[in-house]
Amino acid sequence: MRRVETDILVVGGGPAGLSAAIAAAGAGARVDLVDAGAAPGGQYWMQDPVAGATSQQAAEGSTAIASARAAGVAIHSGAEVWAAFPGGEIMANDAEGPITFQARSIVVASGAQDRVYPFPGWTLPGVMTPGAGQRLAKLGKTAPGRRIALAGNGPFLYAVAATLASIDATPALLVESGRARAAMLGLLARHPARIAEAVSLIAAARAVPDWRRGHVVTEALGEERVEAVRIAPIDERGTVDTARSERIDGIDALLVGWGFRPMIELTALLRCRHAYDRALGGWYCVASPSTGLTSVEGVYAAGEVTGIAGSRPARLSGTLAGLSAAAALGFESAGMEERRKGLVRALASARAFGHALGRLAPPPDGIADLARDDTIVCRCEEVTRGEIVAALAEGTRAVAGAKMWTRAGMGRCQGRICGSAVAEIAAAETGTSPAAAGFNPPRIPLRPVPLDVILEATRGSAP
Amino acid sequence: MTEVTIFVDGVAVVAEAGRPLGALMHRLGPAMRRTREGAPRGLFCGMGVCFDCLVTVDGVADRRACMTPIRDGMRIETSLASGNPS
Ligand SMILES: Cc1cc2nc3c(=O)[nH]c(=O)nc-3n(C[C@H](O)[C@@H](O)[C@H](O)COP(=O)(O)OP(=O)(O)OC[C@H]3O[C@@H](n4cnc5c(N)ncnc54)[C@H](O)[C@@H]3O)c2cc1C
Ligand code: FES
Repeated sequence: MRRVETDILVVGGGPAGLSAAIAAAGAGARVDLVDAGAAPGGQYWMQDPVAGATSQQAAEGSTAIASARAAGVAIHSGAEVWAAFPGGEIMANDAEGPITFQARSIVVASGAQDRVYPFPGWTLPGVMTPGAGQRLAKLGKTAPGRRIALAGNGPFLYAVAATLASIDATPALLVESGRARAAMLGLLARHPARIAEAVSLIAAARAVPDWRRGHVVTEALGEERVEAVRIAPIDERGTVDTARSERIDGIDALLVGWGFRPMIELTALLRCRHAYDRALGGWYCVASPSTGLTSVEGVYAAGEVTGIAGSRPARLSGTLAGLSAAAALGFESAGMEERRKGLVRALASARAFGHALGRLAPPPDGIADLARDDTIVCRCEEVTRGEIVAALAEGTRAVAGAKMWTRAGMGRCQGRICGSAVAEIAAAETGTSPAAAGFNPPRIPLRPVPLDVILEATRGSAP
Repeated sequence: MTEVTIFVDGVAVVAEAGRPLGALMHRLGPAMRRTREGAPRGLFCGMGVCFDCLVTVDGVADRRACMTPIRDGMRIETSLASGNPS
């Protein structure tokens, strides 16, 4: 079995993880980076696997990857972390089998995933997340469909519209719950550096022939795949007015999502402290704004896992965490303190923008109620809303309780997909808050691995 | 760009090496498996977290198509053809 001893292990090869690795290696630490993707880059710095850097984002990413390699970072691509133990032992698995890392410090930069809520028809083939549409287009040069509906809320929808346009797959329909145009202009006035980006994103949205603001998709219709969608307006009180719903036919792909949620399973497994804020994507790992240190000694966190804010804070928080982790191990260089102070200031401003954007585009209240009694909520175990509501009526108020009663969240995805919805259903049904409903504690293996990999990795190792 | 041939449920398909298998399966699909209850499923998250895109790759069951780069000669079996849920 491969065993790697290192000073700092970075988990995640997106903007946060690469920035952390570059900073720590530049300070003189030995750094290893593991990333699940076939190539590093994460989401924002995603690399085209065939054509190389085809966009400005990808070009920035390939520069960062080259800098990391030049600084001596050992990059392990196609490797997923599936177990972690306090004390620095981390287990990953790649095509060749297990790798065990023994690290003095860990930087978790695991990023985010699309935040989704169930609705009738959402398990039909052709219904996907906006992130899936983005990756299909960028990695696969594949259009999600011929007549695409893009729906949900938040600026990421516009980014997806732009990417789809770049492969000649401009969506036919954009369904957006928000209408906060004035508030958005106010926010941009306070952060003028972001105006150019906003203008180009809005242009991408405008290119969509049918753009419905203040609407949500309430249902996907079809037999073996999505064929039509039903949309409905949101009234003045913020409730979805299903009485005024409208059916739109001829849709063969529906991309629907409500921003992102932090990918916290690794920080949760390491027992770091987490907090809940719906505007930051729900549960996030708490990290010090001045160092990136979590509540656990030797464990740092950076990027979206510390609360959804976008790629700029991801980069800045990564550099900060990398420098701090290196400094704590004695790798200090001249001028480092000054550099850290500058980073802390820049990060605070970048986060403020990201968080304000998150507050402008929350999922509408009651969004989890689009699911009917017979709608599947837990896609893995095929558990319906009715079954979850019945379990809540029996006495549990927690996400973990609903899982024991119904198996919702017990499948392969460990509740990563249904977790936000189960928490909101629990809150609505039992009068608690989504925060009080909690989240599914992660289980080892975090990602399914063959039994022989588990046996090989754990034989002769500490836990 | 390297064009290779892979086999999906026994049918030869020309594909581009290195791109995600999930994208190709989506073009052929979009359904790529059936659940225990018999419902069709296809790509959902596209990033390896939902496990809705499971197929058998070169005899190894339950591989995520969205996270599997295409390689020459790959043999894919789906639960659509076999009728066995995955
Ligand atoms: C599908 C998707 C597409 C996006 N596209 C854009 C975009 O086009 N523009 C934009 O502004 N924002 C985009 N975002 C938002 C994104 O969160 C960016 O803000 C930015 O990429 C965040 O950087 P990060 O380093 O925190 O995380 P990421 O870039 O998400 O990087 C995290 C990395 O960690 C890896 N990882 C996670 N868990 C493990 C594990 N257990 N083992 C090994 N590796 C692991 C992931 O595979 C990933 O490569 C996207 C988000 C998603 C989910
Ligand atoms: S589509 Fe979600 S894991 Fe592949």
